[in-house]
Amino acid sequence: MQLVRNWFNKISIERIQLELMNTAYGSGHVFLSALDPRCMILWYLFFAIAPWFLSNMIVLAGLFLLMIATTVLSRVSPFIIFVLCLGLVGQVGWLFILSLFFGGDIASALPLLKLTLKLSIVSLASITVFSGMDPERISDGLLALGMPAAFSFSLSYGYRILPVLFEEFRSVLLSYRLRGRAPASPGFLYARLGAYYLKMLVVAFFPLMLATAKRSRTTVEALETRGFSFGMKNPKSRQLKLSHLKVTRRDIAFLSGTAAYAALLFWIGAAYPLAI
Amino acid sequence: MKSTARTYTLTSSQKMMIFVLSMSLYGLSNMFTELIPKLQLGPLELSVEYFAFIPLTLCILFHPFYAAVGAALGEVIFGELMLGQFGGLGELEKFLTFSLAMYIAGRMVSDPRNRMQVGAAAIVGVGIHQLCSTLVDIGKVWIGVEEFEAVPGLAESVVLIEGVSFLNTMIVSGTLFALLPTLYLVPRLYGKIEPLLGIRPREATTRYESVKVWTPKLMIGGVILALLAFGAESLSETDWNFGEWDSGLADRLGSGAIWLSIAIAAVIAVVIILIMRARKKRSGNDGSAETVPYA
Repeated sequence: MQLVRNWFNKISIERIQLELMNTAYGSGHVFLSALDPRCMILWYLFFAIAPWFLSNMIVLAGLFLLMIATTVLSRVSPFIIFVLCLGLVGQVGWLFILSLFFGGDIASALPLLKLTLKLSIVSLASITVFSGMDPERISDGLLALGMPAAFSFSLSYGYRILPVLFEEFRSVLLSYRLRGRAPASPGFLYARLGAYYLKMLVVAFFPLMLATAKRSRTTVEALETRGFSFGMKNPKSRQLKLSHLKVTRRDIAFLSGTAAYAALLFWIGAAYPLAI
Repeated sequence: MKSTARTYTLTSSQKMMIFVLSMSLYGLSNMFTELIPKLQLGPLELSVEYFAFIPLTLCILFHPFYAAVGAALGEVIFGELMLGQFGGLGELEKFLTFSLAMYIAGRMVSDPRNRMQVGAAAIVGVGIHQLCSTLVDIGKVWIGVEEFEAVPGLAESVVLIEGVSFLNTMIVSGTLFALLPTLYLVPRLYGKIEPLLGIRPREATTRYESVKVWTPKLMIGGVILALLAFGAESLSETDWNFGEWDSGLADRLGSGAIWLSIAIAAVIAVVIILIMRARKKRSGNDGSAETVPYA
């Protein structure tokens, strides 16, 4: 259970909060966030769908390299990468172990490796677009592509409100810990301590629900003052809101560069078929 | 219709408030459940799937439709997009089953002060959601993998994984994180949280007006999208789940890969053309918008 203790030490709520703040506010200077959000979302759609239809390892590996490059460019926080790796291992690792258990052999690892590659291409594309860009710009891009206003608003609101909610949750949790009493001994396999924390996690949602209700009322009142629900139905005000979106030469260059790279990969893949 | 029943119409901003509240709370809890370490006993995995008590409580206290859809969207935004785990089209099926289950749970309760109703709704809500997602998961592999029996151990392992995760979720998330907290929270929040949103507490005689969005168009669209999502996921399972089919493809990949690359190139071309058209249309709109004012 040393592992669990290490885990708790590494992932403190403060650290997560800092990382999230960085995600929500710190991406304005990144190269990718200067691109047009509509182009980025279309770009994402390609990379979210195409990998599922590919079985050529060369092409997949090439796309994976491209995704690594864009992820590095968008300066995603290490916390998110960590969560991603954890999710991949959890999703694929267990399938492999279980298929070994039921009489599969090491050969079944190769299709699983391919699956991992596909999953990571899709995930990295979504990380690049959705955490590398300014939330306002993503939400405007979604709105321009015809998403309902409530959805695109929720997206940018979610990014902005999350650090605040985290802070509030932390103070509620701390006050519960101050008033409560942790179990004297951690119990068998830290079960008692774990149960204590889980119970606190649940109970802390009671004050948080009330506080969030107040906050959502304030939010909606502010929205209505700006004419949100009626304004967004008016095409002209929609146009006004989205007028800052422009497809520039840089977007065209980015998209055509990616397309050229993908075409090159497919050409190589067709020349050297290596499907496993 | 009883004569005492009155229809309670919410204003659009009250609906939005419920939506935002449910989205941000459930989204926050989703981030925690993604991060809580899982206790693994061999192949068995005891984990906290989700804090179902949050959408359940809100669906019971408020108009269930807006709370359910808000919670499902919160999961997509906080739990998937922000953590980079967005699975694309497959999330749609999760979104639909989750909001449907929560909506049904909310509709089951007519009086939030009745503990029996609240408890039954909590269990039924989690049960519907888990049953749907288990069936969908097993169905995806059954349909996606034609030679289901060809791969040793695949059938058993899929059914076992899904069955165990169903039981685990029903026991751990269903009782510890849905039933008990809902029974704890609903009576405490009742009458306190509604005035904060300017809404009258729900009573046994309160009838919410039916949701206007269930038009035939939306229903058909939803079914088609769900089938599409199901198909896409089945397809994604097809590729990796069995080695034989892939190696068969390898023999004739010479022509297959070329077709594939042509198709992909076509997709890229279409995307670029769409962007160009969107740009042209926008600049065209700028001129025409002046002449046609919005009425």
